[in-house]
Amino acid sequence: MSRLLRAVLVAGAVAAVTFNLVTFYVNGWPGPPGPAIYVITSTLVLLAYLVVGLVAWQVHPGERIGLLFTITGYALLLPSLTNLHYALPFTIGTITASLYQACLAHLALAWPYGRLRSRLDRAVVAVNYCWNIGNNAVGILFWNPRTNGCSAACPANLFLVDSSNRLQSDITNSASIVGICITAAVVALIAEHWWSARGYSRRAMTSLIWVAVPIAAYIGLLEVPGSLGVSNLVLYGIGPLILIAAPAAYAIGMFRARTARGAVGAALVGLEPGPAPALLRDALAKALGDPTLQLAFRVPDHRCYVDTGDLPVDADPLPAGRMMTQLDPGARAVLVHDDELRHEPELVRVAAAAASLALEHSRLRAEIQTQLEQVRASRARIVEAGDTARRRLERDLHDGAQQRLVTLSLALGIARSQAAGSHPELEALLESASKEAREALAELRELARGLHPAVLTETGLPGAVQALVERSPVATAVIAVPAGRFPATIEAAAYFVVSEALANVAKHAPSAAAQVMIRQRGGQIVVEVSDDGPGGARPEAGSGLRGLADRVASVGGALQIDSPPGCGTRLRAQIPCP
Amino acid sequence: MAACAQVLVVDDHDGFRAFARVMLEKAGFTVAEAATGAEAAETARCIRPRLVLLDIQLPDLDGFEVARRLAGHGAGLVIVLTSTRDASDYGGKIAASPAAGFVPKDKLSGVALRAFLVERPP
Repeated sequence: MSRLLRAVLVAGAVAAVTFNLVTFYVNGWPGPPGPAIYVITSTLVLLAYLVVGLVAWQVHPGERIGLLFTITGYALLLPSLTNLHYALPFTIGTITASLYQACLAHLALAWPYGRLRSRLDRAVVAVNYCWNIGNNAVGILFWNPRTNGCSAACPANLFLVDSSNRLQSDITNSASIVGICITAAVVALIAEHWWSARGYSRRAMTSLIWVAVPIAAYIGLLEVPGSLGVSNLVLYGIGPLILIAAPAAYAIGMFRARTARGAVGAALVGLEPGPAPALLRDALAKALGDPTLQLAFRVPDHRCYVDTGDLPVDADPLPAGRMMTQLDPGARAVLVHDDELRHEPELVRVAAAAASLALEHSRLRAEIQTQLEQVRASRARIVEAGDTARRRLERDLHDGAQQRLVTLSLALGIARSQAAGSHPELEALLESASKEAREALAELRELARGLHPAVLTETGLPGAVQALVERSPVATAVIAVPAGRFPATIEAAAYFVVSEALANVAKHAPSAAAQVMIRQRGGQIVVEVSDDGPGGARPEAGSGLRGLADRVASVGGALQIDSPPGCGTRLRAQIPCP
Repeated sequence: MAACAQVLVVDDHDGFRAFARVMLEKAGFTVAEAATGAEAAETARCIRPRLVLLDIQLPDLDGFEVARRLAGHGAGLVIVLTSTRDASDYGGKIAASPAAGFVPKDKLSGVALRAFLVERPP
C-alpha cells in the first residue's frame, strides 16, 4: 500500500469518527442530544470496521477484503447524515440508512479473501444492493418526516410525493418480508460456503459462521416491523455492538495466521531430528491448518507422485482446489495442499523451507546410515578375508613345509641309526642335522599357530582356550567357557581377546595370576580376562589392544579395558552372537 | 609276538609312509600302508593289524572318524594318532577318541610305538 493511500485512509477514518460525533450533537440542536450510548456504540462499530479494513489492506494488499471492510465502515456512517439539519444530506442519509446491511452481506459472501466465488453469490449480492437502495428510495416517496416521528425541526424530505404515511407503512411491511428472505438467502449461502470449504479455508469459514449468525439475526430483527417490541435503546444503542464481531473475527484470523508461521517452527522443533515423513506431514498439516495436506515424493524416473504411505497422489494435473508447493528445485518432494493457502504465501514459504530442511536432514542421515552400514560390512569382510587367508596359510604350511620337514627329520633319524656304530662322525653330524630339523619344525609350528590356531577350528573355544592357558607362562584359571560352537569370526574374536590378554599379562605382569571367563548371555558372548597385576594398562599406548578393539568391533562388539593402577587389569569384550 | 607285530601306516603323504616303513621295519614291525581313510578301513578289515598309525588329516575322512570306525573292528586293535601338529592343537579330541594315544610325526620311532603295545598287551 502506498504511503499516500495509507495517509488518505487514516485521515478518512479520523474524519469519519469526527463526523459521527459532531452530527450526533448537531442533531440535538436546539434541544438536548439523546443518550450518549448511541454515539459510543456507533463510533466503536465504525472504528472497528475502518481499522480492520486498513490493517487488512496493509497485510493483504492483493485482496479486496480490506476494501470491503473500509466500504462497510463508511456505509455505517451514512445514517448519521440524517442528523444534519439540511434537506439534501437528510434525504441521502434516509435512502442509504441500511446500505451497510448489503455491504455486510457482500463482506460475508466474499469472506475471507474478498472475492465472490460464484455467479449465484454475485447475483445475490447485486440484488441485495439494489433492493436495499430501491426499497428505501421508494419508501421515501411516501414518507413525511415532519408528520411521522420527527419533530418540526426535521429537514424536509426532498423526494416526498405523497404525505399519506399509511401508504409508506404498507410498503414497509411488505418489503420487510422480502428483506428477511434475502437475509435468509445470504445465511444459506454462507452455510453452503462453510460446508464446501475443505482444508485450510474451513477454519476461516467456521469463524465466519460464528459471527454471521448473530449479525443476520440482528439485521432480521431490524427488518421485522416493530422489531418484536424491542426498545430503541437496545435495538440502536446496544444492538450494533454485535456488528463488531465481524472485524474482530477477521482480526483474530489474521493474528492466527501470523502465529501459525511461528507454529510451523514450533511444530518442526518438536519433531525428532530427521523425522519420518509421515510425522513431518502431520506436523505440517497441523501448522498450516490444512488436514488435507499431502507430503508427496516423485517416483524416480516418473512424473507421478506417492504420499508418505506410498499411495499415489493426484499431481499431474492437480485436481481443482489443490495446489502444489515444491520443496526442492527438481520437485522431487512437494506439498499438495488446499489452494486457499495461496492467500498465505509467507506461511507456505516458511513451512516449505522447514519441511525441505527436515527432509534434507533425513536424507543425509539415511545416507550416513547407509555409508556406515557399508563401512561396517566391509570392515567385517576385510577381517573375515584376513582370517580366511591366515587359515589357508596355516593349512598350506601344515600340508607343505611342515610335512616335508617331518619327512626330512625321519629320514635323518633313519640315516643316523644306520650310521650308528660304523661311522661315529657321520652319526654325530646326522644327529645335529636331525636336531636342527626338529627345531625348525617346532618354530614353524609356532608360526602356524600364530597365524591361525588349528585347535580353534578343530575344537572351538573350550579346547582353544585350554591350549592357550596350557602354553601360557602365566598361572591362569579357566572359570567358564561355553561348550557349543559359534560362527568362525566370533570364535576368532573371542580367542584373540584371550590370547592377547594372556600375552599382555605374560609381558607386563609375569608373576600375576589370571582368570579367563567366557559366558554366553542375552544374545552376546562376554569374554573377560582379569589379572591381579599392577594395572595401569593404556589401550592407546599399545597397538595390540587397539588392533584387538578393532577386531572385536568388526563383529559388532565392544572392548572395555579397566586397568586402574595397582588394582589389576580387566579386559572385557562383548560380542553379539545371534 | 609283539616284535613282529603288524602295523598299518595310514597317511596320504607318500614320503612319510616310505620313511615310516623303513623305520618301523628296522624296528622289527611288519608294515602295511593305506593312503586314505576308506582304504585304511578296508585294509584293516583284511589284514587285521596289531596297530594302526593314523594321520589325523586325511584327504577323505577325518582321522578321528577313521579311528571310530576301526575301533569297531576288534578289541585288540591299538590305534595311535599322528600329525605334524602338536597334540595340544587338537584340544581334548584325542583323549575323547578311541585311540590309545598320539605321537607327533617328528617324534615317531619304533620305541614310541612299542610303548603302546606294552601298555596294552594283546
